[in-house]
Amino acid sequence: MFGYYLDLAVRSLKHNKVLTLLMVLTLALGIGASITTLTVATLLSGNPLPGKSGRLFHPQIDPFPQDGYVSGQTQPPFTLTYRDAMNLLQLHRADRQALVSAATVGVTKSDGVEPIWGNGVLTTADFFPMFDSPFQFGAGWNVGDDAAHQRVVVIAGYINDQLFGGADSVGRSVRIHGHDFRIVGVLKHWAPQPRFYGAELDGHTFGDGDAVFMPLEAALDAGIGGMPGQCFGTGDQRDPRAMPCTWLGFWVELDSAEAVAHYRNLLDGYVRDQIKQGQFYRSDTALPDLTQLMHREELVPHSVKLKAGLAFGFLLVCVVNTVGLLLAKCLRRSQEIGVRRALGATRGHIFAQFMMEAALIGVAGGVLGLLFAELGLWGTRHQPAEYASLARLDPKMFLLTFVVALAASLLAGLLPSWRASGVAPASQIKAG
Amino acid sequence: MRIILAPMRRHSLMPALVLLQVALACAILCNVFFLAWQRLEPMLAPSGVDADNLILVDNLAAQGRTYTAAESVAGEDALRAVPGVRAASSGFGLPMVSIASLMVNLQGATHAAVGVNAFFGKNLVQTLGLEMVAGRDFLPSEYRPWGLGASNGPDSDWDTGVTQPVIITQALADKLFGATPAVGQWLHDPDPNDKSDHGYQVVGVVKHLLRNELGLATDGRADYTVLLARNIGNTAMLSYAVRVDPAMRDIALQGVKNAIKRQFGGATAGGARARVQTYVQKRNDAFKNARAALWLLLGMVLAIVIVTLVGIMGLTGFWVQRRTRQIGIRRALGARRAHILRDFLVENLLIVGTGIIIGMVLAYAGNILLMHYYELPHLPWTYLPVGAAVMLAIGQAGVLAPAMRAAAVPPVVATRSV
Repeated sequence: MFGYYLDLAVRSLKHNKVLTLLMVLTLALGIGASITTLTVATLLSGNPLPGKSGRLFHPQIDPFPQDGYVSGQTQPPFTLTYRDAMNLLQLHRADRQALVSAATVGVTKSDGVEPIWGNGVLTTADFFPMFDSPFQFGAGWNVGDDAAHQRVVVIAGYINDQLFGGADSVGRSVRIHGHDFRIVGVLKHWAPQPRFYGAELDGHTFGDGDAVFMPLEAALDAGIGGMPGQCFGTGDQRDPRAMPCTWLGFWVELDSAEAVAHYRNLLDGYVRDQIKQGQFYRSDTALPDLTQLMHREELVPHSVKLKAGLAFGFLLVCVVNTVGLLLAKCLRRSQEIGVRRALGATRGHIFAQFMMEAALIGVAGGVLGLLFAELGLWGTRHQPAEYASLARLDPKMFLLTFVVALAASLLAGLLPSWRASGVAPASQIKAG
Repeated sequence: MRIILAPMRRHSLMPALVLLQVALACAILCNVFFLAWQRLEPMLAPSGVDADNLILVDNLAAQGRTYTAAESVAGEDALRAVPGVRAASSGFGLPMVSIASLMVNLQGATHAAVGVNAFFGKNLVQTLGLEMVAGRDFLPSEYRPWGLGASNGPDSDWDTGVTQPVIITQALADKLFGATPAVGQWLHDPDPNDKSDHGYQVVGVVKHLLRNELGLATDGRADYTVLLARNIGNTAMLSYAVRVDPAMRDIALQGVKNAIKRQFGGATAGGARARVQTYVQKRNDAFKNARAALWLLLGMVLAIVIVTLVGIMGLTGFWVQRRTRQIGIRRALGARRAHILRDFLVENLLIVGTGIIIGMVLAYAGNILLMHYYELPHLPWTYLPVGAAVMLAIGQAGVLAPAMRAAAVPPVVATRSV
């Protein structure tokens, strides 16, 4: 039966080529638009560290002066001052903990050559195990290196490829702004999307991965980084370690609800102490996890979801359009249906036959829609957005394209098929 | 009229489908137009500056220290010495320089507060080439120093202790003071907690000055910019505006680049390289994203128009075919071709019109939904007639071919049995 319906459907579609083409084209346009925007939206709103985002927390406290403070309503700033960051880091009360700052850096093998410019991350030892950064060669540095202000560095795979031709460069050195840094590790390609640990620090939310990772203290010694974020008070802003500015991101890994509760108490206790000492005025603290933080800081651009919504609205228009065209096509063939009914085809048979036709249009629309989606993503990749290079169709989306296409066409086929199966045999034959 | 309405009542499925399609398309189209205009408005706003002859220098950041006021002035002098340079000002919050911008809330005596971008630097009116329409420029004695992120000492204090003179744009003057002449009027910061606010007095009005937070340059707020009587004191970041001789533009650009390299050479902070670009280049870069978004929205509009057109043509075509016999009878009874044509056009007008009304309600509901989830402004009602007009045009264009075919049906069809 299936084969027979398929044959009938192909014949019927061939019979009126223009109408068939219009239906396929309409469906394909809608599918192309919605798959393109959906790919970008899922890409950008994905989980940067699946399986771990619930265990990563971002402690926040508020060192700003009293002016304008409303207890319980004022959000603590995203970053910490160096003083508070060091105090909290040295308490060692989380399973893992790392400070993060960012700076644009130029990396070379030797002076006198135009450096490769990229994002530099200034951080502490736990960064790599905490964020599951995968290593190609070597490993991250240890807490001792942090304390000893060791000039060591972890470089990205692409920097290693460009400077050392992809060879194991552990033990060799790179020059960063006139200082030698000894390579201890080379990362594989690693670029969490969104770049949750750095987005609020330097504004780069998406991208192909950071270039180098340096110990915070060693980098500051070398005069790298330490740009003030938000400042308060009238202290000196020349020394990043002493300036009254918040500029350091702080992350902790807490493995149980109990540990989270403990850490919350610790933060409150720290702030209470600081208030007692006259250093702090504001008592609010926050400990959002990664997911909450991404939501709060709105790391995923709104326009992306907006476009996806509009595209699906457009798909709906396309489906309605296909309903209309299919209906027109079905009812034009009332005579043919009448003859088939008179020859013994049941209503169910007619229904199945027309649904088969709709499904065929769906498959064709899916193939063409895939082409449109690739075209749309190609266009997206040529946009000046930061995430542009990431816009590619993955196998899941590939499959989803056909699911959406088939669902849309079958939905569109329901009404026409139902109407077609309702055609009375006698009157149609008489009229013919 | 009855002859138009009757068939629609009898076979309501086809008109219903057209109606549904028009309603959905209209709702989407209104919102897409609105989004597109949000991107387009800042691009169309006049800049107010001498765009062709302006060079901007920014991203000069000192490493581990702040630039002194003297260094800032030395930079101005070095730039003025470049052949082809007519004027140079060390400034903050310059046109198209959005790396750091200053937002000030201002309130007139009676009206609501508005958030404006503040530009400052010595002789900016002259350097940017602004057109003054009322009042005067700042006097040399009125300038007081301030720098970014260096509130350490009398050289860079935001609090002047006295009323500051301010130059506003014509658009702000209209918004804040209406028909009253703006020069001489008072402005103040609406925040009662701000103790550094001693009020501002308007001394001059310029015709246009596009703000540098371009994301806010929508809904008629493009010109919400003020000039403050400030020169650059000790500061963590420097930027310069340079006006050049039109005949020596290219030579001057190279000269400015060299002068900046000589003057600030290796002193900039790690990675932060000074940018020397013409205003036109900077404008081009600043609107790159908006342009890309506009192309995308344009593509969407086209797709919607095509799909809706195809849909209306297909459905009406079929409907005409079904009624061939009825049309033949009408023709035989004396209806002229023009009558048939008119009836189909009017019928389409009725269906599309109803669809548009539903579509407008949908557009509004969609916008309110979007506003709930995203920080999106209210859809102004003016977009609704635009969307409606486009849909009506699409409807009439779509129905034209089938209606002509209908009008061509000969009366003799009535006598045949179809």
